[in-house]
Amino acid sequence: MFYRITAQNLAELYRKAADHYDSLPAFATRITALEWKPVSYRELYEQGLNLATGLIEIGVQARDHVGHFGDNRFEWILADYGVQLCGAADVPRGRDVTDDELVYIINHAHIEVTFVETELLQERILYLRDELPNLREIILLDPDGKPEPGVRSLNEVTALGAKLRAEGDRRAEERIKNIKPEDLFTLIYTSGTTGQPKGVMLTHANMISQVESIPSRHYCADRVLSILPIWHIFERVFEMYTISFGACTYYSSIRTLSEDLKNVEPTFMGSAPRLWEKLHERILKNIRESHPVRRALFRIAYFLARNYKDSIYFLSDKKLKTRPFAEWKRMLLAPLHALRWLLVVPWYGFFNAAVLERIRLGAGGSLKATVSGGGALPIEIDKFFNYVGIPVLEGYGMTETSPVIAVRKSDDLVIGTVGPPIPGTDIRIVDYETGELQYPNEKYPDQGRGRKGEIWARGPQVMKGYYRQPELTEQTVRDGWMRTGDLGMITYNDCLKILGRCKSTIVLSSGENVEPEPIEMRLQQSPYIDYCMVIGQDQRFLGALIVPNLEEFRRIGYQDYSFDDLAENTRVQSLIQKEIKSTISTANGFKSYEVIRDFRLLPVSFQVGDELTNLYKLKRHVIENKYSDLIRKIYKIEHVTVEQ
Amino acid sequence: MQFDTQLLYASDQALLALMIFIIMLGMGASLTIDDFRAVARRPRGVLIGFMSQFGLMPLVAFTLVIVLNFHPAFAIALILIGCLPGGTTSNMFAYFARGSVALSISMTTASTVMALLMMPILLELYASGFTQQISEAMRAEGVEGEFVIPTMNIITSLLLVLIPVAMGMFIRRKWPDWAKTAEDTAGFMAIIVILYLIGTAFVRHGGLFLQTPITVYIGAICVGLIGFLFGYWFSRLWGVPPIFQRAISLETGIQNGPLAFAVILLSFTDPIQSQMIWLAILYSTFIVISSSFITLYFRRKGRFDYEVHRNTVIHNRLFGENYVTHYPAGFLPKRIAHDPSQGSSPSQVREVEKV
Repeated sequence: MFYRITAQNLAELYRKAADHYDSLPAFATRITALEWKPVSYRELYEQGLNLATGLIEIGVQARDHVGHFGDNRFEWILADYGVQLCGAADVPRGRDVTDDELVYIINHAHIEVTFVETELLQERILYLRDELPNLREIILLDPDGKPEPGVRSLNEVTALGAKLRAEGDRRAEERIKNIKPEDLFTLIYTSGTTGQPKGVMLTHANMISQVESIPSRHYCADRVLSILPIWHIFERVFEMYTISFGACTYYSSIRTLSEDLKNVEPTFMGSAPRLWEKLHERILKNIRESHPVRRALFRIAYFLARNYKDSIYFLSDKKLKTRPFAEWKRMLLAPLHALRWLLVVPWYGFFNAAVLERIRLGAGGSLKATVSGGGALPIEIDKFFNYVGIPVLEGYGMTETSPVIAVRKSDDLVIGTVGPPIPGTDIRIVDYETGELQYPNEKYPDQGRGRKGEIWARGPQVMKGYYRQPELTEQTVRDGWMRTGDLGMITYNDCLKILGRCKSTIVLSSGENVEPEPIEMRLQQSPYIDYCMVIGQDQRFLGALIVPNLEEFRRIGYQDYSFDDLAENTRVQSLIQKEIKSTISTANGFKSYEVIRDFRLLPVSFQVGDELTNLYKLKRHVIENKYSDLIRKIYKIEHVTVEQ
Repeated sequence: MQFDTQLLYASDQALLALMIFIIMLGMGASLTIDDFRAVARRPRGVLIGFMSQFGLMPLVAFTLVIVLNFHPAFAIALILIGCLPGGTTSNMFAYFARGSVALSISMTTASTVMALLMMPILLELYASGFTQQISEAMRAEGVEGEFVIPTMNIITSLLLVLIPVAMGMFIRRKWPDWAKTAEDTAGFMAIIVILYLIGTAFVRHGGLFLQTPITVYIGAICVGLIGFLFGYWFSRLWGVPPIFQRAISLETGIQNGPLAFAVILLSFTDPIQSQMIWLAILYSTFIVISSSFITLYFRRKGRFDYEVHRNTVIHNRLFGENYVTHYPAGFLPKRIAHDPSQGSSPSQVREVEKV
C-alpha cells in the first residue's frame, strides 16, 4: 500500500512515475477556487520528452546548465522535466532575482539557454543582454506572454520536439541512458550572507538519496499543497518525493492559501515557520473574537490536550531532554503521568472531537504531517500545533545538503528538536573555536550528548561542491563532512537540537556570547511585533530593530497609521518597550546581558528578497547596512562623514 | 427491585427537561432544510438504515428482554430505547469513524420524523405483552386500573420535543454562528447532566448500583453493541460502500437518548417511571463509552478506504464532476475497486478493471 518508486536518476524517476501512475494527476493548477486543471503523470512525461527533444534540437548538450528563472507554476515543472530528460541540469532562481544576480549567475554558470517565466523577466534579460555574451536562447514559459523577437515560446520548443519525435527521434532516450548518478541535476545559486552568490552543485544521487530516505507514510491517494518557492531545494525535494509516491501536487499561493487548504484538504505540505506563525496568530485572533462560550470551550480543550499529550510524551520518552534524566526518576514519575492520562482521556476525547477538530479544519483537516523547514519554529507555536493535533514536523537542512539532514517523524516526535538524522546520515558536533569533537566522543559522558558545537553532517545528500569555487568547497566540505555553520547539540533521546547560527552569534564588548534567534523568536510572538532583529556586536548591550505589526495597531485604534507614524508615536514606543521588557526578562529565563536595552521602530517592513530570504530568514548584513544610521543612534556612535 | 422514593426529584426533572431542551435545540441547530432534501438524494442508504433502525433494533431489544428475563418496567424501557430514532451524537461519531456524515444526518433526519409513526406501532407490537404483568402487579398492591402503553402521550411528547428542534433550525438559518455555539454547548451539556444524574443517583440511592440486577447492565450495554454489529452486517449484506456501512452501524446502535428521557418523563408515571429513567441513564452512559471504542476501531479499520474516498471526492470537486480517477492496478482492494469514491460521485463508478 505504502509503496514509492525509486530510480538511479530523476529522468528515470519521471519515466517510472509515468509507467506506474499513468493517468493519475501529477500537478494541478488553480484557475478558480473550485476549478483546477490537472496534468497526469503520463501527459507530463510525454510533454517533457517533447520539450527535451526540442531542447536537444536547439543545441542543449548533455550536462549543460540551463537557466530557469521563475516561480511556482505548472510550466516550471514541465521545463524541469525537459531539462532532466535531455540530460542537462537547471540553474533555478525566483522572479525576485536582482539584475546583478542574473548577470552573475548566467555568466558564472555558462548558461547558453535559459527559461524565463514572465514577460517582465524576458524584458529584463533582454535589457541585460550585452552583459551576457554566452546566452544564445531565451524561452518564455508563460503561455499567455508574448515572446519578443529572438525569444522562443515554450510551446514552440515543445512543438518542435513533438514533430521530431513523431518522425522517430529518440535522442532523449539516449540522453537518459547516459545520465550518471554523479551528474548534476541542478546548480542552485544561494545568496550568501556576504559576497557573490555561491553555486551549489547537487547531483542526481543527492536527490534520489533524499527521496528514498524521507521518513513518511504516503501513497498515491495523498494530496500535496505547494506553497514555498519551487526553485528552493526544500520545496523541490518534496515535489520529487511526491512524484515518487504518485500523489498530486497542487500549486497554491500565499494569497489563496487559506482557501486552498480548505478546498484541497492536503495531506502533506512543505512549510516555513512564518506560515505557522501567521496561522497561529489568525487562530488566536478568531478565538479572541469568538463567543465567550466558544472561547471557554477552546481553553478547556487546549488545557486537556496539553495535559494529555504531555503525559504521552513523557510515557513514550519523547520529552525534550537536553540534560540527562535518571531512569529511576522516570520510573517514579511514570505512574503519575499515567494517572493524569487516565483522568484526562475521556474529557480529551470529547473536546478533541468537538472543539479541536474545528481548528484542524482550518488547515484542511486531513494533514497527516507537514514538514517545516528553512528556519527555527518557535517552540510555543510548535507546541500549539502539535497539541491541537496538526503534526508539524520540524526539519533541518541547507541547500548544500539537498537539503534534509534531520527531520522529526510522526511517531517519534520530540518537540523542540529537529528529530533524528535521516537514515545514512552521520552527525558530529564540533567545537566551533577549538575544533574539538564534542559528539560522538568517548571522553564525555553519554558520548557527548548535550554538548554544544557546530553541526557537521556526512551522508549521501552532501553536495558535490560549489561550482568553480574549489577553495570555498575545501573550506566547507572536508572528508565528506559538511560544516553547516549552525550551532546544535544531540539530545539525550538522540535528536538534533538547533541552537542558532555559529556566525550570527553576537559577541558583546563584555565578551558574553548571545544567540539572537531565541530572543527574536520570543519577541516575534508578540502581537505588536511583526519582525525584529537583535543587534549589539562589540557593543555594551543588546539593541533591537523592530517592525511593528501594522494590522494589530490599526485594530487597537491607530487607524490610518503608517509605519512612519507608528515609529514616531511615543505611546506606541512605550507600548512596545513594555512588551519587550516583560518578555525578555530574567524572570522568563533570559540572562541579564540578554535583556534588550534600546530599540528603534523601522519605517518600512522587511521584504522577501530584500531583508528576508525566501524562507523568511533575516539577512542580517543587509539589514545592518540599510539601518546603520539607526544602529549608530542606539549606541550613540558619532557619525563621521567622509568627504568624497 | 423497587424504588422506595422517586429516582428523580422535581428539581432534577426540571434540569433534565432543560437539558433535553438544549440538546434538541443543538440538534436543530445542526440541521438545515437541505438535509431533508438530501434524504431524497440517497434513498437506498436511508432505506437500509431505516430497516436497520426500526426493523432490527426493536427486535434486538425485544430478544434481549426475553433472553435476560427483564422486569416488565425495564423491559418496556429497553424496548422503548430500541424503537427510538437516531440522535445527533451519531453524526459526530460517524464523522470521526470516517463514515458518511451526510448519510448519518439524512438518517437522523428521516428517522426523527418517521418515529412519530413508527414508535407507537412498534411499542404496541413489542411492549404490549408486558403491560399485563404490570397491571397484575398493580392490582396485587391494591391499585385499581389497567396499565396501557400511553400511545397518545408518546406522540404528544415526540411532537413537543420537535419544537426545540424546529427552533434550532430557525436559529441556524438566521444566525449560523450562534448555531455552532449551540451545537457545541449541547454536546458538552449532555455529558455534564448525565454525569450529574449518575452522581446524584449514587449519593441518594447508594445501593442502587448494587441492587440493579446484572442482567440489566448486560442489557443496557448489549443493546447498543448488538445494534452496531447488526447494523454493520446488515448494510454489508446489501452491498453498500464501506463509508455507508460505518454510518449505518453507528446510527443503528446510537439512539436519541434525550428523547428517551423526554418520552419517559412525559408519558409514564411511577411506579415504573423511575425504573425506566434508570435504564435510560444506564444506556446513555454505556453507549457513549461503547461508541467511542467502536469509533476508534472503525477509524483505524476504515482509514485506507476513507482516504481514497476523500481523494476521489476532491478530484471531482476540483477537476469537474466527470473526472475519473484511475489508481494503479492492484492499489485498490476489491471492495472499493469498482467505485473508489464509494457512492459519492457517479462518474467514478465503473466495471472492475481486469488486473
